[in-house]
Parts: sequence; C-alpha cells; structure tokens
Amino acid sequence: MNKVKFLLLPLILIGIISCGDDFLDKRPVSSITEDSFYLTQEDALLAINAAYDVLQWELNPEWFDNGAGHFRWFWGDVMSDDSRKGGSGDNDFPALGELEKFEGGADNEMLSAEWEADYVGIYRANKVLEEVPDIEMDEFLKRRILAEARFIRAWFYFQLVNYFGDVPLITKTLSLSESYEVTRTPAEQVWDQIETDLKEAASNLPSKSEYSLSEIGRVTSGAANALLLKTFVFRQKWSDAFSTGELVIGSGEYFLESDYLGMFSLNGENGGGSVFEIQYQANSLGDWDFQRDGSFSNVFQRARGEFGGYGFNIPTQDFVDEFEEGDPRLPATVFSEGDQMGDRGIFTKDATGYPHDFYARKFFSNQTETASDGDPNVNGQTNDRAIRYADVLLLTAEAAFHIGNEGVAKNYVNQVRERARGGNNAVLANITASGNGLLEAIYHERRVELGLEGHRFLDLIRTQRAADELQGEGFNPSVHYLFPIPQAQIALSGGNLTQNPGY
Amino acid sequence: MNLRKTTFCFCNLFITMAIGITVWAQGPFVSGVVLDIDGIPLPGVSVIEKGKNTGAITDLDGAFYFQVASRESTIVFSFIGMETQEVLVEDQKIFKITMSERATLMDEIIVVGYGTQKRSTISGAVSVVTSDEIEKLPSLRVEQALQGRTAGVLVSQNSGSPGAELTVRVRGAGTINNSDPLYVVDGIPVDGLDFLNPNEIESMSVLKDASAAAIYGARAANGVVLITTKTGKKNQKPQLEYNGYFGSQKAWKKLNLLSAREYAILDNEGRIAAGLATRPEFKNPESLGEGTDWQDELFVTAPMQSHQISLTGGGEKSRYAMSGSYFNQDGIVGGAKANFERKTFRVNMVNDLSSKLEISTKIGYTNFNRDALTENNEFNTPIVRTLNIDPVTPVKFEDGNYAYSPYVETDIVNPINAIANTNSTWTSNRLLGGFTAKYEIINGLTFKTNLGLDLTFSSDDGFTPEYGTYSNDVPANERNDLSSVFKENHQWVKFLFENTLAYDFEIAEYNHFNIMIGNTVQDLDYTTHGTTGTDLLINDVNYAYLSLAQDEADGSWGEREQESWLSYFGRVNYEYRDKYLLSAVVRMDGSSKFGADNRWGIFPSLSLGWVLSQEEFLKESNLFSFMKLRASWGQNGNDRIPPYGFLAGVNPGYNYTFGDIETTNFGVVPIELSNSELKWETVTQTNIGLDIGVWRDRLMVSVDLYNKTTSDMLVKNVIPDVVGVQGPFINAGDVKNTGVELSLEYRKKEGRLNYNIGGNIALNKNEVISLGDSDEPILSGGIQFANGFISRTEVGHPVASFYGFQTDGLYQNWTEVEQGIQDKAAPGDIRFKDLNEDGVIDDDDKTYIGNPTPDMIYSVSGGASFEGFDLNIFVQGTKGNDLFKGYTRYDFNNVNQPVSRLNRWTGEGSTDIEPRVVYGDPNENARISDRFVEDGSYLRIKNIQLGYTVPQKIFGNGVISNLRLYVSANNLWTFTKYSGLDPEIGTRDDLEIGIDRGFYPPSRSFLGGINLTF
Repeated sequence: MNKVKFLLLPLILIGIISCGDDFLDKRPVSSITEDSFYLTQEDALLAINAAYDVLQWELNPEWFDNGAGHFRWFWGDVMSDDSRKGGSGDNDFPALGELEKFEGGADNEMLSAEWEADYVGIYRANKVLEEVPDIEMDEFLKRRILAEARFIRAWFYFQLVNYFGDVPLITKTLSLSESYEVTRTPAEQVWDQIETDLKEAASNLPSKSEYSLSEIGRVTSGAANALLLKTFVFRQKWSDAFSTGELVIGSGEYFLESDYLGMFSLNGENGGGSVFEIQYQANSLGDWDFQRDGSFSNVFQRARGEFGGYGFNIPTQDFVDEFEEGDPRLPATVFSEGDQMGDRGIFTKDATGYPHDFYARKFFSNQTETASDGDPNVNGQTNDRAIRYADVLLLTAEAAFHIGNEGVAKNYVNQVRERARGGNNAVLANITASGNGLLEAIYHERRVELGLEGHRFLDLIRTQRAADELQGEGFNPSVHYLFPIPQAQIALSGGNLTQNPGY
Repeated sequence: MNLRKTTFCFCNLFITMAIGITVWAQGPFVSGVVLDIDGIPLPGVSVIEKGKNTGAITDLDGAFYFQVASRESTIVFSFIGMETQEVLVEDQKIFKITMSERATLMDEIIVVGYGTQKRSTISGAVSVVTSDEIEKLPSLRVEQALQGRTAGVLVSQNSGSPGAELTVRVRGAGTINNSDPLYVVDGIPVDGLDFLNPNEIESMSVLKDASAAAIYGARAANGVVLITTKTGKKNQKPQLEYNGYFGSQKAWKKLNLLSAREYAILDNEGRIAAGLATRPEFKNPESLGEGTDWQDELFVTAPMQSHQISLTGGGEKSRYAMSGSYFNQDGIVGGAKANFERKTFRVNMVNDLSSKLEISTKIGYTNFNRDALTENNEFNTPIVRTLNIDPVTPVKFEDGNYAYSPYVETDIVNPINAIANTNSTWTSNRLLGGFTAKYEIINGLTFKTNLGLDLTFSSDDGFTPEYGTYSNDVPANERNDLSSVFKENHQWVKFLFENTLAYDFEIAEYNHFNIMIGNTVQDLDYTTHGTTGTDLLINDVNYAYLSLAQDEADGSWGEREQESWLSYFGRVNYEYRDKYLLSAVVRMDGSSKFGADNRWGIFPSLSLGWVLSQEEFLKESNLFSFMKLRASWGQNGNDRIPPYGFLAGVNPGYNYTFGDIETTNFGVVPIELSNSELKWETVTQTNIGLDIGVWRDRLMVSVDLYNKTTSDMLVKNVIPDVVGVQGPFINAGDVKNTGVELSLEYRKKEGRLNYNIGGNIALNKNEVISLGDSDEPILSGGIQFANGFISRTEVGHPVASFYGFQTDGLYQNWTEVEQGIQDKAAPGDIRFKDLNEDGVIDDDDKTYIGNPTPDMIYSVSGGASFEGFDLNIFVQGTKGNDLFKGYTRYDFNNVNQPVSRLNRWTGEGSTDIEPRVVYGDPNENARISDRFVEDGSYLRIKNIQLGYTVPQKIFGNGVISNLRLYVSANNLWTFTKYSGLDPEIGTRDDLEIGIDRGFYPPSRSFLGGINLTF
C-alpha cells in the first residue's frame, strides 16, 4: 500500500505539470507591443515625435551602428566648392573623402546612410498617416499631427529625389514581401508627391506664432510653404515659387534679425528669422547611437589639437574669396588664423596641429556651453538652421527674377544685404544690376549669406552650375548630377531597382 | 526538523575532533604496515574503523597504529587509485596489507546528465575534470580550471583583469550567436560561473557530443558542463582543511615603444614628409632623452591571496561538507582599481533518513566585488592610452597636477589620471542551492525530486569625481566639471523544480536496463533599475551616494524580463554483459521565448558502445586492458536569443527636442519587423570515439571524431531599406564544425617515484554553410584606426575571419609609384594588391587575411612525486590562429609606436616592410590589411608547482594529519611570435575573435601556499 502511494506521487508530479502551457506565455511587461499602441492621443504624439527623431540623425558610422543619417553641411558644403572634408587625414571617414572627390561608388557607406535614414523617416511618417486617423482624439491636434507627418515625409523625399533621382515612392508601410518588389518611381512623380504633401501640410499646420513656447521646433505652415517654395524653385516652377514665397514673406511671422553673428549663437536659436530648424539639445548623456538628442556637428567642425574637435568642414580659399571686402558675414562664418575661438583660445596652426587656414564657425560653441555631464562629443546643442528667412527671401528673389519682376528681386536681395551691412554703409552696397548680372548677384548672395549652412551643393546642381564650379573637384556633368543607388539595395531587390547611368 | 538533527550531528563531530579520537575507542590496539604490490610502503593510506570515526593515516613507512572498538570491528583501507580493502579484526593485532592499483580507471563513477554512470559504460563523448586536477592549479575562476584539461574545450581570456569573464567553446563556435556552453551546478542550470569557488568542486563533466548532452535538450547545443560540488563520504573521518596562498603578480611582457628621442625623430620626419614645419621643441631630439616610460607607470606589482577552510566528513547516515573562502586580487593594471574580492560559503548535507530515503541540501552563497577599468576597446582604456600616449609628456607637471599631452589627440588622455578618477564596482550576491529527496520505492526504482533556487542581487556602482578643474586650459577629456554618481541594481530570481523516476533492472541474465523519465519546470524573473545623480556635496568616492547628489536631472530607469521553460525527458540505457551498450534519449522542451506555434522542440539522440575488451579475443591480451568503441548521433538546441522576438514591439527612446526651454519629447516607434515563426537553433552532431587502456590502464587513450552542424541558426534578415525598419531574426543559417580530439594519459609508479603525464589535442574546422536567403556576409569587429570592419562572416569561411587588403611590399621610388595605381602614394608607401586587376584599389580587392580560430588547441600536463615532494607542470597552447593588432591608433598622427617603426622606409632599398612616416597617411597605409595580422599561436607554461608534504612523524599523532607547502608559478613562460602584449585573446562578442584592441594582459604570478589537514 505504502509503495503504491510512493509510486503515485512521482507519476502525479511528473504528469501534473503538463497542464501548464499558460506557464510558457510570457509577454513583455516593461516594454510595449504594437497591439497595445496607437490607441490614444498620447500615442499619436509619441508616434509623430519618433518621426521627427530621424531629422536629427547625423552620421552614425556604419562600423559603429547601422549607419544612417547625414550631416546637412556635408552634403551642402563639403560636396561643394565651399569646404573640404578635413579631419585627421584621408583615413578619417574615407567614404566621405571619396564622395567629395566624386569617386564614391555604389558601395559608399555615406550613400547608404542617406538612403536608409530617408526611408526610416518616410516609414515613420507613413506609420503616423496610417495609424493616427483611427485614434479617437482631439480633432484639431489630429489634423496637426497628420500635417506634420506629411511635412516630414516630403522632407525626406526632397533629399532622396535630389541625390538619387528616380526613387521608390512609398506612401504606406510595407510588408516584407512587398519590400522586395518595389521599383523606382520617375522623379517627376516623387516631386509631385512632395508638392501634394507640402500643400496639405501648409494648409493644416499652425503658424509659428500659433504654437505655444513649449512646442517651438515643430513644423509650421511657414516651414511647409518655405519647403514648397524650395520645391518649386528646384522644379523651376517660377510663378508658383514666387506666389508661395510671397505667402511666407507676407505672413508677418518672420523678419531679418539685425545681429547676423548672434543668429548662430545658442541665444539665436529659433529666432525671428528661423523658418525651420532641426533641434538639438545638450543632455543626451553621451549616447552615441540614434537615440541621442545632442549634435555631433559642434565637435566635428571644431579644430583639432587644443580645441578638442575633429576638424571637419574646412572652408576653402575660394569660398573666403567670395565675400566682398569688409563683409561682416565672413568673420561670422569662417575662423581665420589669429581669431579668438570663443573661450577655447586663439586659432593658430600650431594649436590646431594642422595646416588649415580656416575653420567653420557657425557650429562653434564655447567650452562653457558644453553640457556638464555625458560625453561632450555627442552632446552638441547647436540647432541646424535648415531654412532661414533670408533663404526664403533669396529664393523668392530668384523666382521674381525669372518671372521678370526684377524690382522685387532686387528689393529682397538688398534687404538681405542691408541686414548684413549692420549699419556700416561703407560695405555691401545695394545691388543695382539687372539681367544676368542680377541673377549672378542673387547667386553670390546665397553663397555668402547662407555659407556653410548646407545649401551650396544643391544650389549648384539645380542651376546646372556644378559643371563649371565643381569641375576642379572631379565633377563629371554626364554622371554626377545624381549619385549611385546603394549597391546593396539593388542586390536585395533582385534587380527590381536599377542603377543610375554612369555607375 | 531534519536541519536541527543535522546541526546537532555537526556539533558532535566538532567535539569528536576536538577531544580526539582515542577517548571514544574501547577495544584492542591494531597496528601494521600497508604496501603496494611491489612491496613498497604506501604513505597516506586512510585506515579507519568501519562505521566509526576512528582511524589513522599511514606514515612514510606505510605504518599505522590505533585503537578499535572491538574485535568485531572492520578496518577499511582506502587510497586514491587503489582498490579499497576491508579486513575483520578478530584476533589479529598486526596487519600486513598489500593494496593493488584499482583494477581499471574505467570503473570510476562519473556524473552525467541526471545521474551517474560507470565510465566504462558511457557511449557518449564525456570528459571529466576532477578535484585533484582543479586543486593542482590554484585558480580564481572555474573556467581556468577547465582550460587545457579536456580535449576540444577552448578556454580563452577576454581580459587579464581580475574576475573577468572567460570564453569557453566546446568543439568550436557553433553559431554566430551565443556559443557559450550550458553550465549546470548541482543540477541547476546557471548563467556564468563567476560566483563559484573552484575549490568547492568535486568534479566537472563536459558533455561534448549530442548524445551526452541531449538530456539538456534545447539549451545543450554548445555543450554542457556539469559541476558537482563536494560532499563528504560515508564513514569518512571529519577532515578540517585549510588551503591558502599568497602571491604576487606582474606583467610578463612590456612592448618596446619609441623613446622620447625616437618619437621626436619620427615626428619631425612625418611632418616634413607632409610638408609641415617641424615642431621647434623637437629641433634637437637627443635632448629629450628617454622620456616617460608609460608602461612602467601603468603596470604595477599586484598582490593576491586566497584562503579556504573546509570541513568534510560523514557517518553511516549523513555526509557533509562545509566551506568558507576568501579571495582577493589586485590587477597589474590599475592595482586596487581593478580589484576582485570574493567570499564564498557553502554547506552541503546528505542525510539518509531511512535505507530508502535520502535527503540532501546543497547551498552556496557568494559575495563578490569587482572593480573594473574600461577594457578591450581602442578608445578609452588605460592600456590603449598607455601604448599611444607620447613619451615626451610626463605623468605629472611640476606643480603636481596630472599632465596632458600637447601632441597626441585628446582621445589619448593621461592613463594614470584616468585610472585615478575611475571608480566602477560590480557587486554581486548570489545564493544558489537546492533540496533533493531521493526515495527508492522498490528495489531499483528510484524517485528523485529536486527544488532549486538561484538568487542573484547585483549592483553596478560608478562615481566620477570632479577633477582637473584647476585651470581652463585642461582639455575636456582630462577633466570632469561635475561629479556624478551612477547606481544600477539587478535582480535575478530563478526557480527550478525537477522530478525524475529511474528504474534500474535486469531482464534474464546480463540484460541490464536503466530507464529514466522526468520533467523540469524553470522560471526566471529579472528586474533592473538604475539612477544617476550629479554634483555631489562631497567630491569623494567614499561619499558617492545618491543622497548627496544635488541634482538628479538624468532620472532613472527600470526593466523587467521573464522567461520560463517546461521540459519532459526520458532515457533508456541498456547494457548486455558490459559489452554492448545503448543509450537513447529524448527531450521535449517548451520555452517562453518563442511564439505559441513554435514553442515546443523535440531533441532525440542515440548512442551505441561496444566494449571490445570484454570480448574473448581481447580478454587475454596483455597489452590492451580496455577498449571501447563508441558512436552517437543526436540533436540539441540553442535558445539563447533575446526574448519576445516573435512579437511586434514598439520601441521608446526615439525622442526629439522641442520648446524654448529645450525639452525631450518622447517618441515611440517600431524599429524591427517581428517574426512569429521564430524557433530554436538546432545542432545535429555525429560522434565516433575510441577509448583504449593499455598496460593495465597505465596508458589511457581516447580519440573522438565529430561532425557538428548548426541549422536554423538565427540570423538577422537583411531587408531592403525602403521598409524603414530592420529585418527580423529568422532561422536561416548553418554553421559546421568538424574535428578530432585525442587525449592521452600515462601513469606509472617506479619505486617511490610516482609520475604521470597526459595531454590532449583537438583539431577543429569551422565553416559557415549558410546565412539565410541572401547569404549576405556579416561584418563585425569595426575598428577606429581604419574606419572599417576587420571581421567578416561569410558562407564558406570560418566565423569572424579577418578580411582586408593584401600588401605587396613598398614603393621604392617614383618610377614604381607612377607604374602603380595608387595615386596618393609616394616612395615608401605600401603597395596594395589589385586582386581583381581592375586597375583601382577598392573594397573589391579585399580578401581573407586571417583566421582567428585556432586549427589546433593542445595541452600537456605532467606530475611526479617522490618522498614527499611533488612537482606538477601544465603547458597549454594553440596553433594556427591569427591575431589582429589593433591597439596603435594609426588614425592619429602623433601617437607613440612600436620600435619596429624605426626600421621605416627612409630611401630606396632601405626596407620593403615598414612604410615611411608621414602625417595624414595619404596612401592609407593603415587601412585594414595583412600588415596588422600576426600568427597568434602560442605555447604557454601555464603553471609549475613544487610541493613538499611534511612527513607525518614530525607531528606525531597530534592534530595535524597532513601538511603540504608549495610554490607555484603561473604563466611563467610564453612562446609566441605575436608582438603584442599577450597572445591569449578571446572574443569580445560572438562575432569578434582575436582582435587586440589594447587587451588587458594576463599576469605572471608567483604563489606560495599551504594545504593543511587536521
């Protein structure tokens, strides 16, 4: 009897646990799954913020992370005749150096980083556009969030279409199998989508002054119109461009601040001339990954040696020579030898350890402004002034010129020059030229006013001047108006994606 | 209740010991001598009265003398390696006992999964490390005790820093994911072995093939290491032991780096070559002299000590072992800033409550603190800074403040300053234990239930003081403007409940069966939380508590993760006449890591053995005392992947800044596609083995051949970027390991000289067979100085092979340069091979330039004892593995370099090896190439130990029964061609092997120790 009992017990113990498949049901308790998200107004805000996040992705080197993002100044300045890569030598980001010389092939990691970041941004915007409409929430806020998503989507397509030409136009989230099937959409259709998104965004977004202070940095109707203006200019739709530019100018939301240099200080962030600014802050605790909120640009553009920077984006003599005699914008844009580099010391070649004559200034921040904790290298807090009012004025001037309205064109250029003059009438006389001379004056003004802010390269591309201006840099006009589609992406598509000619 | 009884029992034993044995004995005195078969006296034989605690140990002349209880007493003679004998006293007073060597080592009982088995009847591939071997080599971590002891187990250092993890690979890296074996301590699966004191271990069994490991199913793919802690033996006299040593460690090697004078010469040359003006202060290099030897400043002589007390013994109904230990070691880099301190306590008790019921309790507690410096990266470790900082800069300025270099880039901070201001401690408290009850229901039918608990409470504490703020000139990396404190707590709670029912029986004659079924439930609950604070009221590590932080701006965080497993298993062992062996195992595992449809996996195995020495044709052989042929096939799984991969998650932390007062606004988004189909990796392994005993088992030989293929390996699916999220993990890859293992052991006793020599060799070939649909190679091992990846895992090649350019000598003159295709080159620069002959040097010219996984690992150990002296030597090495020398920051112009750079190119014909010195390196001489790949083979005299056992006569019949003194040297000599600090470099993560990023080198240490038995 006793033995039977002892035989039963193990059998029960061994058998009993079979009941418990529930026991193996372990779901995450400190993280969220998709089926419990996209349900509330709060979720909608979290979703749109994550789309903004991609705007601030800079360079995450491939060997460090998955490699996605870009420095706007790299595309705009280093690729152009305004500056050189710099760094500690050719081995320092060689992929960047190759592109700069137009030697970057389809396996260049900077190109795949651009491609990937753009599509991540587009995915996140698409996700908002798919999920948020079904959320029960404040309708006004919902409209705004959807409009923000459209702006962000347009922003990333604007990069893609300019760098790569025909690119897959994705306006919904893709399943795994769909992803292999996508093909390139003609650039005109991509541009059309950008226009549609921006028009939609502009009519649903609040203006800059309608946002509360705590929302500064969100895209505004002004930003959407400014990007739309830019889109029209790039497409050479001059009268659309002009009327859109006038909308921004006439909105009364923006003005030219008197202190040009001050605009690029921390105090100058999101000021009266700021139309769209990519926001950074200095409390990222030094995370090197995508999740940081600080900028790398400060340390990248600061001189090496005693200044502790990485010494990138070295202005060229050609760029410096572009400035007119006495233009106060030159010392505000470029550090020359002997200049005081804020509280970090006087610029001498000895102190930097490199033979460069110039350093970029607009991303310079003082030692005292460094975040008190975390890795200072990635804790830069200088916002990227992506679209300034002066940019809007100059683009509108260009549009005015092309529709034959030279008076307005001159007026807008001269507004910009007047502010730059800073009250010193001995310099930067008003533009009086007309015809081609006026156009040249507008181009000149763009180069100096917006110098080292990431505009020059695409200005040269869209106006076809790259062939002349970048000839010495290795630019071949029959190939280099577009970059190659990343080879790995072509391979993954099984040939559904094709390469640009010449690569 | 039982516990109280046990405690009482303990007290008794202590008293027994203290008062002395003779008080209790009442009967006649017995004496005699114990000899071996050659008639030579055997010292150290345990002679005890059966069922009592009385007895003696033979002296050097093999003699013994003690009082027994009565003439009915039985005396038991036992000695390691000898057949135990029992003799009834009766009227005899003087005994002459001849002990013979144990018939065969093959009768040894060894621990296998869920049970024990006689070695001769095992048909799988199992290697055993015993406590004797472990004790021979004083080691801090269990993995060190495993190193070189078993064929096919590669143990390598991840760092020489005290307490650092080691990498253990059983039969090669089985996967591109986690390839660590499963460790099971007293029946409880554990992660990592940092908590375990090697001296507590009775035996370690390494289950290498699928059949031996199959009983651990889904977690056994990378082998299983079964660890059994010590308990006393039945009727064992209480034995109080003290083992301790003190030691001193030093760096065994220093690199020859440039002196200040040489540094200045090369700096001048590099600047001139790049068209830069030389530095005025380097105008006269001679005046700079030797400068600072940073390695002398960095490496310190570091003490270590270990103490352990243990009490073991047993009576008729209970056995016990209790021990406590203390270990403390400083690092040769950082001294006390790299200190490791460990305290352990253990109580193991086994009680027979009746002849049928055995209850046992094994509980171990460990507390350790590990102070750690940053390790194993090329950015901010003390080693890499030491090897790169210029020799011109002093350690301190004349004003006593830490100096900083005006020459090297600011990443390379003064290492001595950085160490002084690093305070990072990992503290862990772990309780591992369980209760087991074993009941024999009817003869041969045993039920066993086991309740296990594994609790770990750890904390990670960091403090960075405010320092270097005395002047604004101090560069950002050499100072910290705001003190900060960091604290993160972790808690792991694991339960295990396990039941087995085993039936051991014979059908007809000679048909011996052992059938076992069982199940296991396991549950893990992990939580963590952490917080930081800044601006401490007192700028001192001793006051580094959050309560003194004035600002907690950076907030706090926390997380929880749960996992569970449910498993059923069964095994049939069958033997016919000890001649034909069969073992069949099946295990079914359910794991919470996988979705409902793929939750369950079944892992079968089958093995066969044929003991040829039991056959008539070998029975009479004088040469072969044992011979067994084994063959096995089976499948195991690997579930070591992050949980919840089958669910579509959304991820927080993708934030953006808004507001006039810059404020983080949280963002949440999916970043990865999910895969509801996710399941285990499966390893299928075939093994053929042969065990041979020659000359009455004096020589034992074991050979194993295996083929181990991992399939359904988890790989990250690379998907087109247009999706905007990353691809999911999918089960798609295959990796194959094939190899041969050979182990040999020879023991001989000639007169008073005992000696043994053993060794093992393992050859393994690793190859990636598939990486999923796209077979996209996986790049890993990114390194800063060349801005690229060193390691590449690709189909047809070993995991994480080195991949880069091939060099082809130097351009000697401009004509050669002009004929070449490198437009940035100048004479003295490296010519790279244009492998695809397309006229440009680009990524398509990269090729495999090295394999970091050894072709062969081997070890030799030998021991001899004579007249109380014993000498042990242990040698271990690898052959055919490459290392990548990645510690010199060639991306900077001004770093210090090895003296080999003095042989640089200086003009046509000067050298074809070391390129010229030039600032900016326009030709990218420092790109990833075979220039940095070196042969990493080594042979290392891991340990030499000389001991002396003081003759018993000296102590008479007093308290001390055995006293051994020894001196021991670790890492005494290393033979290698590798020019870095140490060739024994392990993995940094699963796909980074053998890259030297300024590796914390293992030390050479000398110890003096004592083993004392009361």
